[in-house]
Amino acid sequence: MSTEQERGARARESTLIARDLRKSYGEFQAVRGVDFEVYRGECFGFLGPNGAGKTSTMRMIYGAAVPTGGELMVAGLDVTRHERDVKRRIGVVPQENNLDDDLEVKENLLVYGRYFDLPKKVILQRAEELLDFVQLTDKADAQVEQLSGGMKRRLLIARALINDPEIVVLDEPTTGLDPQARHLVWERLRELAREGKTLILTTHYMEEAAQLCDRLVIMESGRIITQGSPTQLIEEHVSPQVLEFRSRDGSLEKLIEIAEAEADAVERSGESLLAYTSDADALMEKVRGSGIEVENTVYRQAGLEDVFLRLTGRSLTN
Amino acid sequence: MNSQIRLPSPRGTFRVWQRNMTIFRKYWKTIMFPNFVEPLLYLAALGLGLGAFIQEGGIQGGTYVQYIAPGLLASNAMFAASFESTFNTFVKLKIDRIYDAIVTTPVNAEDVVAGEYLWAGTRAALYGTGFLTVLAILGFTLSPEAPLISSFWALLIPPMLLLIGVMFSVMGTLFTSLIQRIDLYAYYFTLVVTPLFLFSGIFFPVENFPAPVPQIAWFTPLYHAVNVCRELATGPSVAVLADIAWILVFTSLLALLPIRFMRRRLIS
Repeated sequence: MSTEQERGARARESTLIARDLRKSYGEFQAVRGVDFEVYRGECFGFLGPNGAGKTSTMRMIYGAAVPTGGELMVAGLDVTRHERDVKRRIGVVPQENNLDDDLEVKENLLVYGRYFDLPKKVILQRAEELLDFVQLTDKADAQVEQLSGGMKRRLLIARALINDPEIVVLDEPTTGLDPQARHLVWERLRELAREGKTLILTTHYMEEAAQLCDRLVIMESGRIITQGSPTQLIEEHVSPQVLEFRSRDGSLEKLIEIAEAEADAVERSGESLLAYTSDADALMEKVRGSGIEVENTVYRQAGLEDVFLRLTGRSLTN
Repeated sequence: MNSQIRLPSPRGTFRVWQRNMTIFRKYWKTIMFPNFVEPLLYLAALGLGLGAFIQEGGIQGGTYVQYIAPGLLASNAMFAASFESTFNTFVKLKIDRIYDAIVTTPVNAEDVVAGEYLWAGTRAALYGTGFLTVLAILGFTLSPEAPLISSFWALLIPPMLLLIGVMFSVMGTLFTSLIQRIDLYAYYFTLVVTPLFLFSGIFFPVENFPAPVPQIAWFTPLYHAVNVCRELATGPSVAVLADIAWILVFTSLLALLPIRFMRRRLIS
């Protein structure tokens, strides 16, 4: 076997396998039988509107929820039978901040490291390195309360890495952060991916998924409705170009007819009309020729957001 | 599938205890002070103030202040462990979400609860040891002929306070595991802790009351804790073993229930 093939085989090695995974809370079915595989060293994303079942799936991975049915193997171990061993191999960045406010920044890492029974020397050394990694070295002795939202999130990421986990699970890692803080988090996560860590994350932000994820699934109402790489999904589900017409008077109504005849798909969203097409110029010509007045027309490339909205429905997010 | 009994691991239990100890060591001076003052207030007001009106001969052959001092050791442990397992545990559970972070590590929910039991017991023993020292010194200085602590068996009081603390922690954690709102603790303290404090033989012997008062007292936890402390402070009889056995049986019977309920709250 050539080295290239070997590398290919290793890249395809699954580190997390879900088969018909289910989770119910009483009558409510949060996750209704999902199948997915995460390969070692990739960044895998879960997209979906609120209530789609992303967080429930995450919680089952890190042991905060027990599957109601199906199978879930994490790092080669069944989560229901090897609870502690699974938790020993993963790092968790939760959606809500749950840092220990009674402890200082560095102490948070030291105390957390003890939960993994790591030797004191190892914990101290890793804490130093991780504070450096998330750029919080000068805040080592600060109270957690004094940190900004972005700093708290970075400390949560450092904490999740104290046990040098194989898999890092991140539930909405940048929700609520300002753009600078978000970019800093993305940069750190890319660095982790470069180091070969497997990243599993949920997000609402299409840009985040497009930036970070090698592959992703889109969930809705407890089911996976599609999966693939960001480019695959765009190719599969939407035409490459989008024309967005905006108008406040009734002219959009008249436009729909032309758009529907020419474009591959048309969507109406409030005061704008989106036409998906592989030939934007031709469509534009038709619209101009029709003499219908449009206040504002925007041309752009189709993105993950279009896939997301197409599949999960525009009305939900409006 | 969640129905099997989950026993805590000693290692995880220790890690949770250790986390609390780390924080306690930073703030122990400020945390401990009120707990020293409170029993001294009771001793001054009731022991010396009210005690002056109690007839010569006092109770059970000693002065009134000698009678109530050991009982206050037991109630002090009850209060320390009760606050720890109610308000403090509630904040860690629902407000600071400390436990949510811990249970994603190899430390499980059952370890968290057991660690908190042990911690509440430790805190009760630490407070009690301080208070015991004050009682011993104060007693010998003020009236060497009638000391407040008169037996070397009193050296066994701190480990007993640990056990008593664990017992009240189990009770407090049980209540915490069932409530959603912090103001409901008013019920626990008014209907459980305060009646125990008043009617467990700290301030007057319940044995002298007509039936069923002594029989009811026998079924309550602080009554036995007070007996243990009083016996050890003055030199124990064999009867103290029955009280210790009662505490051990009650605590171990009840201990698994909050573990089960708390696990259900932390792991969905």
